[in-house]
Amino acid sequence: MFPLRQATPSRVPRAAVLLATGAVALTGACSVGGGSASDAGDTVRIVLPEEPPTLEPCDASLTATGRVTRSNITEPLTEREPATGEVQPKLATEWKQTSPTSWTFTLRDGVKFHDGSAFTAEDAAFSIDRTVSSDIGCNVDGYVFGDSELTTKVVDDTTLEVTSAEPDPILPLRLSFVEIVPAETDAEGKVREPVGTGPYRIEQWNQGVSLTLARYDGYWGTAPAYASARYVWRGEGSIRAAMVNSGEADIAVGLAPADGAGDAAVEYPNNETSYLRIDATKAPLDDIRVRRAINYALDKEGLVASVFAGLGEPAGQVVPDGVTGHNPDIEPWPYDMAKAKSLIKEAKADGVPVDRPITIIGRNGIYPKAAEAMEVAQNSLLEAGLRVEIKMLDVNAWLEYLLRPFPADIGPTLLQAQHGNQAGDAAFTMGQIYGSEGAQSSYGTPELDTLIEQAEQASGPERQEKFARALAHQNDEVVRDAVLAHMTGIIALSPNVEYEPNSATNDEMRLAEMRPVN
Amino acid sequence: MLTFLRRRIISSALPLLVVILGVFFLARLTGDPANLYLPLSATPEMRAEFAARNGFDQPVLVQFGDYLAQLVHLDFGESLRTAQPAAEAVLRAFPATLQLAGVTMLLAVVGAAVVGSLAAYRPNSAADRGASFLSATAASIPDFWFAIMGVLLFSVTLGWLPTSGTVGAAAWVLPVATLLIRPFGVLVQVVRGAMVSALSAPYVKVARSKGAGEARVVFGHALRNAGAPALTVAGDLAVGMLNGAVVVETIFGWPGIGKLMIDSILQRDFAVLQAAVLITALTIFALNILIDICYALLDARVRQGVMA
Repeated sequence: MFPLRQATPSRVPRAAVLLATGAVALTGACSVGGGSASDAGDTVRIVLPEEPPTLEPCDASLTATGRVTRSNITEPLTEREPATGEVQPKLATEWKQTSPTSWTFTLRDGVKFHDGSAFTAEDAAFSIDRTVSSDIGCNVDGYVFGDSELTTKVVDDTTLEVTSAEPDPILPLRLSFVEIVPAETDAEGKVREPVGTGPYRIEQWNQGVSLTLARYDGYWGTAPAYASARYVWRGEGSIRAAMVNSGEADIAVGLAPADGAGDAAVEYPNNETSYLRIDATKAPLDDIRVRRAINYALDKEGLVASVFAGLGEPAGQVVPDGVTGHNPDIEPWPYDMAKAKSLIKEAKADGVPVDRPITIIGRNGIYPKAAEAMEVAQNSLLEAGLRVEIKMLDVNAWLEYLLRPFPADIGPTLLQAQHGNQAGDAAFTMGQIYGSEGAQSSYGTPELDTLIEQAEQASGPERQEKFARALAHQNDEVVRDAVLAHMTGIIALSPNVEYEPNSATNDEMRLAEMRPVN
Repeated sequence: MLTFLRRRIISSALPLLVVILGVFFLARLTGDPANLYLPLSATPEMRAEFAARNGFDQPVLVQFGDYLAQLVHLDFGESLRTAQPAAEAVLRAFPATLQLAGVTMLLAVVGAAVVGSLAAYRPNSAADRGASFLSATAASIPDFWFAIMGVLLFSVTLGWLPTSGTVGAAAWVLPVATLLIRPFGVLVQVVRGAMVSALSAPYVKVARSKGAGEARVVFGHALRNAGAPALTVAGDLAVGMLNGAVVVETIFGWPGIGKLMIDSILQRDFAVLQAAVLITALTIFALNILIDICYALLDARVRQGVMA
């Protein structure tokens, strides 16, 4: 007894003191960096759903990267206006097609990179080669160029010739994805903090905490209104909304109706279209009557009104208005349960196994209320006379079903999908989604393949017309999809900031379009 | 003491190996990361190139061998997402979690010791019932609900605290409070239970009879003896926190290890996931030794067993 009493009192406090000192030391070290609270007014404060993985310009087709890099830090030769779909001059002032495979670009004079060096055709050629032809695995290469190879030739400081292996009528549009970096940039690897010609340069990236861009004084164009921009990131939508409502942030992106942005919420068509991809190679979905019945059975207006909180617009095609190839004559399929039932009954009478279980492959969080939307769809399809189960997956597991080669051990499926065409031309939709061999295509027909190929070769009004025809053929004769709705995005906007989100806002948030309200 | 440490290290080596193996192989069962990192329209050549660049074209056993060989040189590989060393990401995130967990556990242990002791001092008194009610409530409130309500009330409505972030002392209040409620509630109940029996033990009567003050009786004599079960539970709770206060880190934008692990799982960022799990496992192992040492300091019987 005695030794215990003697020994422990002296030790326990020591342990406690140690613990306490440790904790104090920990708290002491807590000034986890992070710029000081910014003086509002001069700085626009933006809260994103995630930290950019890198700011590498050749990965700018990745939303999390492009949202910060594109048009803010770096700039392309050409730029697509989201509102009109027109390709506008940026670092190139004009361009002309000199042969079916080559284009000549005249470059802007007097442009300087953030490091003070002058922008020349050499830099433009280097940037195109680095993005399209290098081994560093640029996302833009896969997204925009695919198999096609480009060669560049510097004619003089302000003249660049770009040649494609195959005729490419939309090369200037494709080049709007290639952000220009100085020829001194690492050609063998990716960079995290690029040098560009844009209106903002990277001032400080405090990883995990915040990213600050500062206005570049040597910018060739009109100086933007804000002296700096500070990005932070929060994974939780309701917190992003709360930050704008409490005055901690000016703009919060990627919100859902349930996030409670209140009066600060600004809605905008975000260029995404939701649809169910029908796996038309497997019975009973290989019967066009069943596919038509699915389209009739889904109440798109009801879905938008009840599940999507009124945000969105019932849709009949995955190519929205404003994208070359959109067909204004395609209407959303009308909701007609009686017709759906009779089509299923008719198919059943012909021996189609309509009671074979169909699996809806859903993806959690693909859009707000994703699971609820699939439950509504399931309910309608059950009513129409089909047997439908739902399987909700995370992104990567879902991608296994989205992309070829598809998993073999599964019966007929309906895949919950959403497509956004940020490039503005149906070429970025049709081949991969509806072509027989398209990466995301579960079914195609030779006739549709031909229509798509012809459209891809065409230019001008003919291109628009041919893509529209391919879409109509898909909708009438192939019926590979049940298109649901053109979706609506939400941002929260502080009353102190003037900014109008557009269909490109998700992928490209131009700081120069933001200004303080006076 | 050294023997004790040696024995602990040897007995922990096996679980550590299981962790290394489990994370490596389980992660690779969850699908090809190429789908996440390449555009949907990527060609088969691009996929092959991606696999080759990241070593995914090798048989899994060869990949595992390479991983072990790197590990020996303390090289944890490179993040697929950021192309930075995986260890860098983990070491950046770890202090944030340690700070949060350290402060929270300190408050929980000290607070629970005081409240639990006071509740046990007069069982069934108003103070006891009040403490029991509060601790039961605290132990059963869902943390995400508490966090969001806290933000709506204190940040949006009242404007007293920032909604989130890590800058400034005020930013600590809501995350620590959210993280604190459950361990605090649980610990108060454990301390109270242990204290009720300790306070009725003979040695307390002896202490009182020789004229020791009440504070000394409660905190000096009874609490020390009641400390062991509380320490066990506190240890478990601390381990849980080190595994990542995922909810708190996600909601409050705290760049900690829990958020990093969840993100690296969702992003199939294998190298970061492996590094995060391994470094966390090592820390938990160290924490367990620390708890054992505290145990020994509290209880002579354990101490003698340990030293032997």
